[in-house]
Amino acid sequence: METIASEAQAVEFVRAAREARAPFEIVAGGTRRQVGKPTGDLPRLDVSGLSGIVKYEPAELIVTAAPSTPLTEITSVLAEKGQRLGFDPADWSRLLGSNGVATLGGAASADASGSGRLRHGAARDSLLAFRGVNGQGEAFRGGAKVVKNVTGFDLPKLVCGAYGTLCVLTELTFRVFPKPPLAVTLCLADVEPEVGFAALRKIALSALEPAGLAYLPATMMPGVGQGAALIKLEGARQPLEEKIALAHGLLGQSVQRIEEDLFPAIASGEKFADLPGHVWRMMVAPADAPRVVKELNAQHWLGDWAGGLIWLAAAPADASRVRAIAAAAKGQAMLLRGSSDARAALGLYAPQDPALATLGRAVKAAFDPLGLFNPGRF
Amino acid sequence: MLLPPTNAKIVARRAEIVAALREIVPDGVVADESGLATFDADALSAYHQMPLVCVLPSNRQQVSEILRYAQKEGVPIVPRGAGTSLSGGALPREDGILIGMGRMKRILEIDYENGCVVVEPGVTNLNITKAVEANGFYYAPDPSSQVACTIGGNVAENSGGLHCLKYGLTTNNLLGVTLVLLGGEIVTLGGKCGAQGGLDLLGLVTGSEGLLGVVVEVIVKILRKAPVTRTLMASFDTVTAAGACVAAVIADGVVPAAMEFMDGRAAEAIESYNQPGYPLGSAAILIVDADGVEADVSHAISRVTEIVTQCGGQAVEATDEKQRARIWSGRKAAFAAMGKLAPDMICMDGTIPRHALPFVLDEMAKLSEKYELGFCNVFHAGDGNLHPLIIFDIMKPGEFERAEAFGADILRLCVKVGGVLSGEHGVGVEKRDLMTDMFTSEELALQGRVKCAFDAQGLFNPGKVFPTLSACVEQGHIHVHGAQLPHPHLPRF
Repeated sequence: METIASEAQAVEFVRAAREARAPFEIVAGGTRRQVGKPTGDLPRLDVSGLSGIVKYEPAELIVTAAPSTPLTEITSVLAEKGQRLGFDPADWSRLLGSNGVATLGGAASADASGSGRLRHGAARDSLLAFRGVNGQGEAFRGGAKVVKNVTGFDLPKLVCGAYGTLCVLTELTFRVFPKPPLAVTLCLADVEPEVGFAALRKIALSALEPAGLAYLPATMMPGVGQGAALIKLEGARQPLEEKIALAHGLLGQSVQRIEEDLFPAIASGEKFADLPGHVWRMMVAPADAPRVVKELNAQHWLGDWAGGLIWLAAAPADASRVRAIAAAAKGQAMLLRGSSDARAALGLYAPQDPALATLGRAVKAAFDPLGLFNPGRF
Repeated sequence: MLLPPTNAKIVARRAEIVAALREIVPDGVVADESGLATFDADALSAYHQMPLVCVLPSNRQQVSEILRYAQKEGVPIVPRGAGTSLSGGALPREDGILIGMGRMKRILEIDYENGCVVVEPGVTNLNITKAVEANGFYYAPDPSSQVACTIGGNVAENSGGLHCLKYGLTTNNLLGVTLVLLGGEIVTLGGKCGAQGGLDLLGLVTGSEGLLGVVVEVIVKILRKAPVTRTLMASFDTVTAAGACVAAVIADGVVPAAMEFMDGRAAEAIESYNQPGYPLGSAAILIVDADGVEADVSHAISRVTEIVTQCGGQAVEATDEKQRARIWSGRKAAFAAMGKLAPDMICMDGTIPRHALPFVLDEMAKLSEKYELGFCNVFHAGDGNLHPLIIFDIMKPGEFERAEAFGADILRLCVKVGGVLSGEHGVGVEKRDLMTDMFTSEELALQGRVKCAFDAQGLFNPGKVFPTLSACVEQGHIHVHGAQLPHPHLPRF
């Protein structure tokens, strides 16, 4: 395993790998190594030395950091200035049984968004610029460190969710936003999925700018009857009281304020950590969620993003059924946790339409013609 | 402006190409001179070129057949929405088929349950909002051409508008597009589920300026209109004070729905154009919108008022919806109002880090002296997106050339302070030759290879965005030196 701590070293390493036609796996905190198709026994490039905040400009609403900066570090530095990252990164390390440290680059590369995606968008919506080293061993940048830019192709979009297959990232610049000082969770208890999701969609389509909208059946949240719809609202004290009143107006007075913030545990997938079998993240149109969960007929599941994201634990034998249900709903079932054999067989996502797959391969080749970076991962 | 040379062999085959397109779209081929004249320019109106032929498909199958034909015959394609591009993105080619998407303007589905609308590309930006506003919804991106510009064009340019700081650009408000590739294949990127199951090609295609494919269907998110919107107008004695106020508002944690800056000269021209009630005699004016729930908006308005006062400005709040609309009507008429100052205008578009604002404003004043041309500044202050308006008289010899050089220097200045050539208008032909100021040759080559992944023959919108003309097989071996124009032997267009 090689370690690097600078862009110059990344260039040197990639050039050598290119000469030797030697593919490699890129690892930072290592918490997401078990996601996607296994890359086999390849040499590893340890980029964890590429860490730390490069420049934080609160008044510009941007932060530039090396990709292996721990998520905890960046969120606490931003919080000191009353700000948060433009997207809501999710740390899946407990679910995936990793002792590693979840990083900014890892969250962006895996498009790992928590419950806040509903309101704040995904990593791709707030990554303004990056630096990286392409498969020719050339350092390059994509995007720019300003909040509004349409100059040339929007490459930052591509590296989000690319699982490190396009380049070795060396620097990331994200938008940041003011962090609302307070948050509360409201709970509509003892409702079946259909009713719970309808309530969540009502809030999603309101002007309340909710920070989280999830439905948990009784199996995932004992003591709430058939299940609970959870609504997380944010703001300063007065606006928050106003939002709560408006939520009551939309959903009735039976909505109760609860003390605990359950959303971190929802976003991290840790509620599924101790359950056996595969863990899926299925994205569907939110209004399809009640029908999809009925078809899935699973014991252990929950719906985040007002139904747009369904987390699911399922037996390995159910894999093709899960994928078929997702496909019928024009959704995507991502296999987040599975054995190495299962991930090799099933892939991260279902196979794409051939024309789209061809296009994806051609775009990958534009960055990495020799297939050096995380080959086959995704 | 230098464009790739016209392929005389294609021009010579015009009659045959027209006939073939008539087979595909019997009722939608424009080939007569007067008809084509309608399409000879977009909103970068200093540049004109008659297209080889214009075809107006009315469905995706026709688009697919046109692109299959174009690939087979090696004929360039220039996609066009409403032709409102300010960067020449839809400037035709003498040897190219102009494919106008204006007839595909159906709203296919309004899905309130999922908060989205499915439309054809020729639907105008404003018509999306109009279709849903009775139910309290709207489509957030609002470029100032929104009455005319189409959503397909918005996707191609990743259009912005007044409210990007809070609500993002087109790319942040899209769920999916259906794209026809060169060769006619139809692919769907994204969808109502918001997932793609692969690389984010939707993100790549958005803002690709007609270089990768033709969009035939778009799924946009719609948002619930905020319950309360209030508008504040602030005037300042110095431009620097106004700039400092913008920075202070952002640093304070307020995210205004919009924050617009205009200098005194622009404000006066606008005031004499449509009387929105702008105070005369100020050096700069800010217009700030706050939206959200009542308490959020009250907090934002009172904070902004305090900050304006601290920065030495004077704030006035619009008292009712009518006055609000009037204040905004002035800003939206800014470009037209420039006619009060001079017969011609170029609207520039660059983004800078906000802290560089005072420096950039000073430098622009110096450039104005150097080129002996006047200019005004209106810009989206919240996100640092400048729109310097250079005023000139095209009838006076040399003024147009000086105006272009002035504009190019402003954009170089933006890049120099860490900003970009385009915040929302796109590169098109207008800024193409400045791309080498912003990107290294390796970076341009990489973007060129991405283009090749979609269009190995280089048939989509040739001569736009990228300064080099290299064929895909040569990619990776491009040499660009400084800002020097490649292919200097090409005739001036």
